[in-house]
Amino acid sequence: MRVLNASADRTRHALRRDAVAASLRPIRRRTLLTLAVLFACFVAVAVQLLRLGLRAEADLHLNLAEPIGQSWSRPDIVDRHGQLLATDVASHSLYADPQLVLDLDEVVEKVTGVLSSLDHAEVRRALADRSRRFAWIARGLTPRQAQLIHDLGLPGLAFRTELKRVYPLGLLAGHVLGTVNVDNKGLTGLERWLDEMGKVEAVQGPDRSEKPPLRLSLDVGVQHALGEELDDAVRRYSATGAAGLVLDLTCGEILAAASLPGADPARPADWLDLRYADKLMAGSFELGSVFKTLTVAMALETGLADLDTLYDVRRPLTIGAHTITDLHPSARPLSVRDIFLHSSNVGAGLIALEIGADRQRQFLGSLGLLEPLRTEAGLSATPQLPKHWGRIETVTISYGHGLAVAPLQLAAAMAAAITGAAVSPTFLAGEVRPEAKPLLAPATSARIREIWRLNVTSPVGTGRKADAEGYRVGGKTGTAEMPGRGGYQAKAVISSFIGAFPMDRPNYLTLVMLFEPEPVAGLAPGITAGLNAAPTTARIVHRIAPVLGVLPRLIGRSEPQQGPFDALSAAQ
Amino acid sequence: MLRIVNLVLMLLTLVAVFALYTIKYDARQREARVQMQERDLEKLENYVAVLVAERAHLARPKALEPLARGLGLGPIAPRQYLRLEAAPAADPGR
Repeated sequence: MRVLNASADRTRHALRRDAVAASLRPIRRRTLLTLAVLFACFVAVAVQLLRLGLRAEADLHLNLAEPIGQSWSRPDIVDRHGQLLATDVASHSLYADPQLVLDLDEVVEKVTGVLSSLDHAEVRRALADRSRRFAWIARGLTPRQAQLIHDLGLPGLAFRTELKRVYPLGLLAGHVLGTVNVDNKGLTGLERWLDEMGKVEAVQGPDRSEKPPLRLSLDVGVQHALGEELDDAVRRYSATGAAGLVLDLTCGEILAAASLPGADPARPADWLDLRYADKLMAGSFELGSVFKTLTVAMALETGLADLDTLYDVRRPLTIGAHTITDLHPSARPLSVRDIFLHSSNVGAGLIALEIGADRQRQFLGSLGLLEPLRTEAGLSATPQLPKHWGRIETVTISYGHGLAVAPLQLAAAMAAAITGAAVSPTFLAGEVRPEAKPLLAPATSARIREIWRLNVTSPVGTGRKADAEGYRVGGKTGTAEMPGRGGYQAKAVISSFIGAFPMDRPNYLTLVMLFEPEPVAGLAPGITAGLNAAPTTARIVHRIAPVLGVLPRLIGRSEPQQGPFDALSAAQ
Repeated sequence: MLRIVNLVLMLLTLVAVFALYTIKYDARQREARVQMQERDLEKLENYVAVLVAERAHLARPKALEPLARGLGLGPIAPRQYLRLEAAPAADPGR
């Protein structure tokens, strides 16, 4: 019985095993199928790899990365009242994929037909290199040009949209704004300063900058008036160039700065021509008698003289082999005041000799005239100092020869002379600036203001024609012979007038320079600054004073004039 | 029983896969739409920039001055200023 039971158990076990084996069979089959599919996939991958590896010529090309269209987005530049001076707009740039160009000659011919400024040979060279996949043809196209090129339907040509700097006001304040290159990167002026300050961002497309606009100290109205009046003066006096500046004496902000011939920020190539160089910053000039202001300030500050101290100017001043003379020698000794009013070179020389070379150098250095001046628009031209600062140099520098400085630098020194404190010119508006460092005693700057005004109101003053009715202008003229081959040229001068208004409490400094002016037919003969730069200053002040909110004060007129006012004839 | 559970789970998986696909497709479409709108916005911003620049160009002093002069306008002359007390008194009846 036990044997039978054992045999039945074995049979049951065998049956169960068979049943389990039967149930596992489909699973095993499916597993095998899955494995087979996976294996087939791997085999397919391996075969494809082998095929790619064994092919003699691969379809794939390794292209070296070429920098494609990286440009810079720049914040807008606006004037002190928010008027737009420079902005970025999206523009079309044309590029080519030389590999896709079918007919080289046709493309070159048609493209240069539409874009006539392109160089035929250059386009051909760019397209002939078929190893490249990208070559710029022309950048910053107008929408019309882009449409014309697009209409040609040439394969291999395509457009990218990128940023282009535009200057809506044209040449206005061009020298201050500066230029950018084709990638929108700043090259000169404030555009360069934006780059240096990290205010620009690298972009691949037309992504405009989200940074706040750069607010300049310039006032478009004042800048325009200055430019127009200088332009008029260039025509009126047949000058070869001109420069002018309006500076706010309370904070050093430059309200207008112009140099003629003007430079177009949108045409950087023009800037290589020296004629368009910025005369205020990029050039250094001997500016003549305007320096006598500093000579008198020096005498007053050192206590060597006051305005009534007399100097014998009757005879020419002889230093070694050099003789200094006056245009109209005086028959009597002159006080410091009269030396200034008559613009006596001999008198200024005598004062300077008394001061001495060392103190003169130290004084001019303290006004920042011996080092280049840095503003946001760049570094000014390096001053040209005499190699040896001896007695003759001391004398010539006293009346503005022998030391060449950038006019903007001289304007800053003059601002210090009449305010008594250091003035650092800036092109930015509303910057928090440290309190101005006092440079001169208040009495000295008060005396300078007095003689500046006297030089315009006195019948013997050289700046009489600078008197803009009601606006209390004061200042000093300077007529400097320009250095030429074989010495100074008597007929080629830089005539300048540096002044301020209203003189009872000067708020604004003006500088006017005319290069090589000529006598005007029908007016007093001569090319001295009193005949050209001074009246130009008066015209400028008449135009800008109302814009700047300076009220005129008319002596001897308490009642308004009757009758309708004719603005046109008054303006003329 | 197990088979039913499996079937239900499979069905749920299919539904989930379909839902996921739909959501993903929708997200892609929305993304594309956002990108298109961003491109449009950029284009509009650039148009605005061009218009602002053109307005500044048209309102440049060099262009406005001849127009103003043509209308008989000019810089304010000193004699156009009056003291307040010299100005004619305002007529309250008007």
